[in-house]
Amino acid sequence: MSTKEELLEQMKNGVVEYQEDVVKEAAQAYLDAGHLALDGVMDGLAAGMQVVGELYDANEYFVPEVLMCADALYAGLDILRPHIPKKEDDVNAQVVIGSIQGDVHDIGKNLVKMMFDVAGWDVHDLGRDVPLEKFVEEQLRTDSEVVAMSAMMTTTMLGMKKVIEMIKEKNPNVGIMLGGAPVTKDVANLFGADGYAESAGNAVSEGIKMISRLREMREK
Amino acid sequence: MAELTPKERVLRLFRKEPIDTMPFISGMGMVVMPGIEKAGLKFPTIHTDAERMAMSALWSARMMNFDCVVLPYDMTMESEAMGNKISLYEESEDILYPTIPEKIWSTLDDVAIPEKIWEKGRLPIIPKAIEIIKSEAPELPIGCWQLGPFTQAGQILELDLMLKGVFKQKEKVAMVLDKLTDMIIDIGKQWQAAGCDYITLREPGVAADLLSPRTFKEFIQPRLTRIMAAWDSPKLLHICGQTEPLLAMMNECGADGLTVDIKCDVRKAREILGPDVLFMGNVDTYKMTCDPETPKQDAIDHIKDMIDGGVDAVMPGCDLWPAIIEENMRACVETCHEYGKKPSPAVGRL
Repeated sequence: MSTKEELLEQMKNGVVEYQEDVVKEAAQAYLDAGHLALDGVMDGLAAGMQVVGELYDANEYFVPEVLMCADALYAGLDILRPHIPKKEDDVNAQVVIGSIQGDVHDIGKNLVKMMFDVAGWDVHDLGRDVPLEKFVEEQLRTDSEVVAMSAMMTTTMLGMKKVIEMIKEKNPNVGIMLGGAPVTKDVANLFGADGYAESAGNAVSEGIKMISRLREMREK
Repeated sequence: MAELTPKERVLRLFRKEPIDTMPFISGMGMVVMPGIEKAGLKFPTIHTDAERMAMSALWSARMMNFDCVVLPYDMTMESEAMGNKISLYEESEDILYPTIPEKIWSTLDDVAIPEKIWEKGRLPIIPKAIEIIKSEAPELPIGCWQLGPFTQAGQILELDLMLKGVFKQKEKVAMVLDKLTDMIIDIGKQWQAAGCDYITLREPGVAADLLSPRTFKEFIQPRLTRIMAAWDSPKLLHICGQTEPLLAMMNECGADGLTVDIKCDVRKAREILGPDVLFMGNVDTYKMTCDPETPKQDAIDHIKDMIDGGVDAVMPGCDLWPAIIEENMRACVETCHEYGKKPSPAVGRL
């Protein structure tokens, strides 16, 4: 029988090598052995995604690989997440997420969503081609701490500015994250956003850094 | 020194023959709100009618002193002709380009290109619009563009199918890309036959921040090369995003000129390409032409820096966002024409 460490290692490597079946088996064996599900998510799955982020930053992995790693991660998360008790879930925050109206692509959005799923946030996914007011309405309805928007096309990114203004006017404490291929850091600053992810890939990099920080916080 | 018409200037540029001054051109969308308004039109109506498309394109070029007009404006014409519905966002107050909200095909196997696709949907608008522009403004060259096969696949399928398929379903991805490559060749030829003066193949979905250079070499480069070989000159290749690792391969595809966006450092690019390759770029299409807080001088410096960096023509890095700040837009064009009187690396002066 494998030890806890071995199973964590199997989940981690399964994510890195995008082996969904390996991750599923390891996650199930891990649960069956009675280990804490949250540790499995953080020290197995998320630890694997952290390596994926490093490989992406080093230009060894690209978006296709990252998407497949994300599938492997979700395969494990689907097994472990139902076994994380609410009270153990330190982060009980909420995020509203979506691709902005005029943009029917959602790869960047889905990668950012993954980071929130891993961290155990409640994710309100509005999908794609989302009218501007919908972000504002959903934030007010759910009282979410963060609104994350993505636009893959230059021609849709200007809409983000309006959403930020609308949200900040009603609730200045909401954190705003922008992502999508054409949005440069300068643009994010101009629009008054609080977080920024340059591309689908950077969304992953940034997201993984956030996961890493969460893992560090747990260790303290 | 006799002054050339924009058409003479641009066609000579593409042949790398000496010109009077550097043109401000694009291979992608050049329609701007002042031109649309001057033509008495609203944004959502210019995509669906040849006369409205032609007049908005013409007035955009005339009012801003651009050296070309470019058709079409949106990326959904082919997908629509394959049977997908488009959203025109006619109710929105914002400028929104048509999109495909739901795709009829859900797997790589579903893709089937209709015969004579150029006769379907809105595609027949383009030859008509070309004809109108030719008779109204014979001095302006007309550029047309086609999306590359990988980016086009994203208009007809969920893009993650293609991205993951690069690993998991190589043969099917290759099959889809081949079908689209044939279609792109055919439509491009139709538009060239209708009189477009140059054609741009734009493949933004394959930048090195999305796909590996290895994947580019295996899946993309052979198809881009096949398209370029089938089209007549002048023909350009544009890729957005991180392109420095791809430039040498882009240059092997057989285009007469290469164009890039703001993520590409033009000085480094010129170093990679050498002085003989016709190379164009890379105006920042938000900060320099649309942001009301950007001082005019910054826009002027941006253009000068690009010219000093070694471009042969100033070209927006992407579709111009139509809601331009007129003063800055004019300053960009004027600077290009004035500061561009000196020779560029690949093109001399009369």
